[in-house]
Amino acid sequence: MKNSYEYPKFAVVGHPNKGKSSIVSSLSLDNSIQIGDTPGTTQIKRGFPLKVDGKVIYELFDTPGFQRGRRVLSWLNKQEKVPADKRHEVVRKFIAEHKGNPKFIDEIELLEPIVNGAGIIYVVDASKPYGVEYETEMEILRWCGQPSMAILNLIGQEDYREQWKNALGHYFRLVRTFNPMTMTFDEHISLLESMSHLKEEWRENIKIAINSLEEEQSRKIDLTVDTIVDNITKTLSFVYKYPIKGKTVSKSEEESAKKIYRNKIISYENKQKRAIEEIWNHKGIDKLEDDLLLDEVGLFSQESASIFGLSEKELIITGASAGAITGAGVDLLFAGSTFFTASIIGGIIGGVGAKFGFNNLYEIEILRGKTIGKRELAIGPMKNLNFPYILLGRSLYHASTISKRSHALRDSLELVNSDDFFMDKLIDSTSRKELEEIHVQLRKGKELKDESLIKYKSVILEAFKKLIK
Amino acid sequence: MQRKNHKITIQDYLDFKQLVSFYKGNHKENRLFALKKKESSKNMVLLWLDEHRFRISEPLNSDIFSIYSSSINNILSFISLLFGLIVGLGLLSYSGNEPVNIIYYLFFAILLPIISMLFTLFSLFVKWNISEFFKMLFPYHWLEKLLSKMGTNRKIEFLDAVLSKSIQKHLFIERLQRFSLLFSLGIFLALLFVVVTQDIAFSWSTTLQIKPETFYGFLEFIATPWRYIFPSFMPSLELVELSQHYRLGVKLESSIIENAHILGSWWQYLAINTLFYALILRFVLWIVSYRILMKKIKEEFFDLYEVRKLLREFKTPFIETKAPKKEKHLEIRQEHKRQVKRIEPKKVEKVEIAIEPIVVEPIKEIIEEPKEELTIDEVEEEIIPEVIAEQYHSIIGWNFSDDEILLVNDFKQFRAIFINSVGGNHSFDEDEEVASRAKDRVLLYVKSWEPPTMDFVDFLEELIDNSRVEEIELLPLGLSENNYITTEKDFSIWNRKIEGLKARKVWVIDEK
Repeated sequence: MKNSYEYPKFAVVGHPNKGKSSIVSSLSLDNSIQIGDTPGTTQIKRGFPLKVDGKVIYELFDTPGFQRGRRVLSWLNKQEKVPADKRHEVVRKFIAEHKGNPKFIDEIELLEPIVNGAGIIYVVDASKPYGVEYETEMEILRWCGQPSMAILNLIGQEDYREQWKNALGHYFRLVRTFNPMTMTFDEHISLLESMSHLKEEWRENIKIAINSLEEEQSRKIDLTVDTIVDNITKTLSFVYKYPIKGKTVSKSEEESAKKIYRNKIISYENKQKRAIEEIWNHKGIDKLEDDLLLDEVGLFSQESASIFGLSEKELIITGASAGAITGAGVDLLFAGSTFFTASIIGGIIGGVGAKFGFNNLYEIEILRGKTIGKRELAIGPMKNLNFPYILLGRSLYHASTISKRSHALRDSLELVNSDDFFMDKLIDSTSRKELEEIHVQLRKGKELKDESLIKYKSVILEAFKKLIK
Repeated sequence: MQRKNHKITIQDYLDFKQLVSFYKGNHKENRLFALKKKESSKNMVLLWLDEHRFRISEPLNSDIFSIYSSSINNILSFISLLFGLIVGLGLLSYSGNEPVNIIYYLFFAILLPIISMLFTLFSLFVKWNISEFFKMLFPYHWLEKLLSKMGTNRKIEFLDAVLSKSIQKHLFIERLQRFSLLFSLGIFLALLFVVVTQDIAFSWSTTLQIKPETFYGFLEFIATPWRYIFPSFMPSLELVELSQHYRLGVKLESSIIENAHILGSWWQYLAINTLFYALILRFVLWIVSYRILMKKIKEEFFDLYEVRKLLREFKTPFIETKAPKKEKHLEIRQEHKRQVKRIEPKKVEKVEIAIEPIVVEPIKEIIEEPKEELTIDEVEEEIIPEVIAEQYHSIIGWNFSDDEILLVNDFKQFRAIFINSVGGNHSFDEDEEVASRAKDRVLLYVKSWEPPTMDFVDFLEELIDNSRVEEIELLPLGLSENNYITTEKDFSIWNRKIEGLKARKVWVIDEK
């Protein structure tokens, strides 16, 4: 049936249990598709249209696997000989004659979109050896006469791609390796580019799809960085005021206030995590978080500090630069007549302070203020020099893991393996100095200037881009 | 509602922040909105705000701000004008005993506004914390503080948290210009009023030893901006000389009395200076400060996280990839259920086994009765091949080549009378022949990594239907590289499938 607007369609077909649904899931960025170890998880074809602003650009069909391929081919071969350009008519005839026949329900489901003009994406598991039984399926697909390509999906550890390439080369114009479980954004785009080569008329639409996906990716990255920066600025400048009963602060009141303060910061981090998961379309994902590293308690743990924070040496340097920044303000006030003494003194004090405060994550300044008729204790802003880096490190690690996660994966997200996370590789000393300028302002409870915030964001953006490469 | 004026106001800023605290829309809605409106980004945000403002159920922050703003503006405008009039009348009060000293007037009507304007300019372009200090020099700051402490204006305090310090600073500066302008207008009106209603004699008097020529030079300098346009308003040196007044004379000098009609002409000089410095310049500064305030509001508005997010959503195409068709959950299809009925064995001989089709482990069974003198290893090496050899009538390989079957047999030490391959590129007739020829015990090899298809099930049914076949043992084989060992996962797939068929003749062999 002809539509007034013809957009490219692709039927993802193949033997049962070869990862067709995983490929569709990863390409359509949809983690709600049923994917199972059991063959025949997909029982009906499902179209996944990629719509850009409501307009369908292309449509992917997830189909059931071939079940009685030999019978279909045998039926086709028994028909009156027709020239190649009429062969697809014979397939259409097969569908018409067998529609409703439970024996061929899977074949009809998978062949229908193809005879209606869909391109063929034939999926095989290249981690298993090639077998002649596949030739039946490939022969049927050849009868359909539609543009086609094959995808070598490496489900297991072994690699039989060479065998497969030799065989598939006889049937398909294009053969590509694509692992939906480890798919990166670049691989996604590269596969779309391959698909655009199947038919000239489809190129324009695929190009639109690629551009849109790239814009979307860039929007997601920006939004992620904005979310992280928003959380850091909110957390670092957060001040909690706790009313006290007596004239002095009791130990229990102090502990209680500290607990509330920490819980608030934890809730900010959780909110940020949820926002990032939503940005990357992984809302409600199951997570396995290491108790000591990435869960709620971990934010204030030594383990978290040692993995995501700065090393003692880096911290001393950072402390010195933070002190120097404060001192520079004094020098500026005296128009340089202090000969930068304040910067030097500030640097030394900052460095020494950072050294001794390295292990003290809980050091929170408690201000005893007094307002008319009541007394209150104020906690914050966070003074610990390492804390912004711990928070940033954790945020970047979580965000990068989420952003790279394929939508084909159905297991729980493991946020534990972070041994290869090194803050100094992500953010060099120059960039760290830029970050520290902002941290100094936030610690003082100052409002950030636009240009400082832009600079801060650009440092974090670069670090995030490095991580998701 | 279509906006004609696309200027972003403080009211928009406040309402937007209030709205996005609980409603942000989503990418799809916002993108569709942008596609419908086709306006510039700036206008689009304001149109979006207009469209969704109704969602704010609480009193609008903009209304609270407007009420506060208009009340403080009205009160302070009135006070400023009145204060200007009073100051003006005070400066020009003339009893007829002594002429009015123009230096007082020049100080309040010209020098003070110039100083305040310089401070304003300085505040406009310096950092917030320094301007904080300067604003304390202005009486308006203290007046506003006083008014804000009054009951009716207390609710405005929460807006401090919403408006940034920078906007607050520029708002203060803009208001300061407005009230200063009114103060100067008051002085100017007082001058005109006094000039019309009284006959004033002006003079100049100072303790400093200033010659009339020097004072004239000073007056000329002040008049620089306008004296070429209105030269007649500039007093002559003669008038300056005549107007100098010394208190010690107690009585007025005779020259002053003689030239009293000339001394009154000073008012033109004072009026035009007031007009230029205190009114025109202040008015320009007011406009400048207002524009800077608007620019700041616009900048900060577009720098709001939610505005940037909204703009990105407007600009970025919305991508949908979800399937409109609901997924059918995995279940056993009707076809399979009917098959189960159809393949039910006609003769039930092994009822106990049939009820619970378990996996048979032939090798184990054989090992259970070893010769007493042999160890298990010896059983494996010597007895099993002999026992197993030729125990099957047929060994059939599904989707295997003949060579591959022979290799497996060799490896596993299995023997049979007939060895056949089926499936793959064999025809159905060939498969049927193999199925019909089989009898007694049949061993069926399958590739464990390939899940069972209906094509295979069809062949298996043929074997089952063959009444001469007593037992079909299905052996899922792993890769030859892995010594044909199958994985747990692959085995369970085959096991489940065979269990599902409920065929009592068929057993899945678990080699582990």
